[in-house]
Amino acid sequence: MQASAETLAFLHDVRVFEAFADPDLVALTERLRERDLRRRQILFREGDRGDEMFIVRRGTILISKAVTGKVEQVLVRVEPFDFFGEMSLFDGSPRSATAQAETDVELLVLGRDSLQAMTETAPRAAAAFFYAMVQVFMERLRRSTQQVAEATRWGLEATGLDVEAR
Amino acid sequence: MQRPAPAKFELLVRRDGDEDFELRQVPSVIGYLNSRPRRLDQESYEISELRSRLAVAPGFILKNKTTDRFLLLSAQERFLWDQMDGSTSLQEIATAYVLKYGEFDFEIIPSLLHKLQRAQLLTFEPTSRLRAALARNRGRMIVKAIELALTGLERIRISSHNVQSFFQALYRYGGFLVFTPVAAIACAVLAVLGAAAAFVLFHDVHDMLEGFGGHALRGILTVKLVFFASVALHQFVHGLACIHYRRRVREFGFTFLHGFVPTFYIDVTDIFMASRRARVITAVTGALVHLVLGAVAFIVAAKAPTGSFTQAFAAASGIIQWQALVVALYPFCFIEMDGYHVLVDVLGVPTLKHDAIAYMKGLLSGAGRMRQGREEVLWIAYVVLSTLSVAAFIAFNVWIIFSATH
Repeated sequence: MQASAETLAFLHDVRVFEAFADPDLVALTERLRERDLRRRQILFREGDRGDEMFIVRRGTILISKAVTGKVEQVLVRVEPFDFFGEMSLFDGSPRSATAQAETDVELLVLGRDSLQAMTETAPRAAAAFFYAMVQVFMERLRRSTQQVAEATRWGLEATGLDVEAR
Repeated sequence: MQRPAPAKFELLVRRDGDEDFELRQVPSVIGYLNSRPRRLDQESYEISELRSRLAVAPGFILKNKTTDRFLLLSAQERFLWDQMDGSTSLQEIATAYVLKYGEFDFEIIPSLLHKLQRAQLLTFEPTSRLRAALARNRGRMIVKAIELALTGLERIRISSHNVQSFFQALYRYGGFLVFTPVAAIACAVLAVLGAAAAFVLFHDVHDMLEGFGGHALRGILTVKLVFFASVALHQFVHGLACIHYRRRVREFGFTFLHGFVPTFYIDVTDIFMASRRARVITAVTGALVHLVLGAVAFIVAAKAPTGSFTQAFAAASGIIQWQALVVALYPFCFIEMDGYHVLVDVLGVPTLKHDAIAYMKGLLSGAGRMRQGREEVLWIAYVVLSTLSVAAFIAFNVWIIFSATH
């Protein structure tokens, strides 16, 4: 895609690209693809194969995980400047959750080939990208741990189980 | 330290269309209210009244025979303990408590649950007895198929929790008229005219139902489907009554009751915070929808040409609407409909059906003894009347279908 001033300004505010120098950001922009989703359109489902990550430029994406039957738990809402789908980008594993547009959405798509190319042609930028990614992973791990605690609290409250007294 | 807000999940529930979904916030309190505590089997505990010359209120001693632990229960706690049969939800137990004692102590249920859990006297039953029985026999193909079908149907639930403003608007723009003396008089006049029309019509049911043109059974089934729409109207009027008494309508929706009975429902439990008169009127006005619709149908049938489709359709609709009125208001039919709720509210015996069935089961199996108290008479009367009424209801419907097809 074209590296417009608006796109560059947007990418500068995306956490994993904020340490990029302008020429690296321009090179990256040329490797990104744009993708639009209409409201409620499913981008990918849990279990699908994938090797791309997505940056939300406009709108909101719901990430949900199947619980039972037609019921899924909403894990997170991904909003502008945030990204998702990076796990499959790195290890090519099946998608661990479903991504669906909650509103009309504009995405930027980074494929594994583009990441590979960036690693070879712009190692400094790639290092900044991976460093930022590790920080994001740690934050998400903390959030997952918090969600497990919340789920446990939900169960205790819903059953009225008096654990402290046992 | 400030207590944290109740934990909640955000769930995405998919609809039939693959991409369509609904988002639902499920706070832990909803899970709590829907849980069904189950006391131990009768052989595993013992309960006896505590007799004391000093104590004013009666007390009870509950013993876990397995662990030899004892608990002291108040009369109110004993009442709650009796409700914990694994099929009654905490919400229903709380409602029964309000009906019995006319007030609610917000701490009594949680603290009793904690006490009972510590004494290992309680388990939580997440599913119905039918579902438990199906789960036990899952090895059989047919049972598994039924279980899958029930699970599928139970998941069909279309509802909204944001209906208060809708019902308020409905009340403001005309719904309030239902609760005026003019509406009551119009209802009574219609009932009399409808009854007169029905009396004239039923001199010859056979001629009347000939209007279905030899497809009486199919015609009656179509009428039943049309009747189904009036069930929604019935629920709407319950909602309007709730608004009339300035209480909150918490939910309106459609679901399959027990997995196979399609029904509309409305949550007007907030009316329990109003007076008994308000509760009774809320219960009765919903059912009166069937009185009015049935009367109108009978009047239309009486005016329509004999043997025409209009007459047959209107007459059959009238029969079904008035049957629904009877089923809704008549308390003795083993179904906890509006009339049953009015009866138990007036008598102050919220667990009438439960206790009556348990007592009769005991008598019939030889496990219980015949007693001659006021409650026992009420229990026997309830079971006998309900059995006779259900038999009469079935016989009446068989007669209608037989008359229409022969």
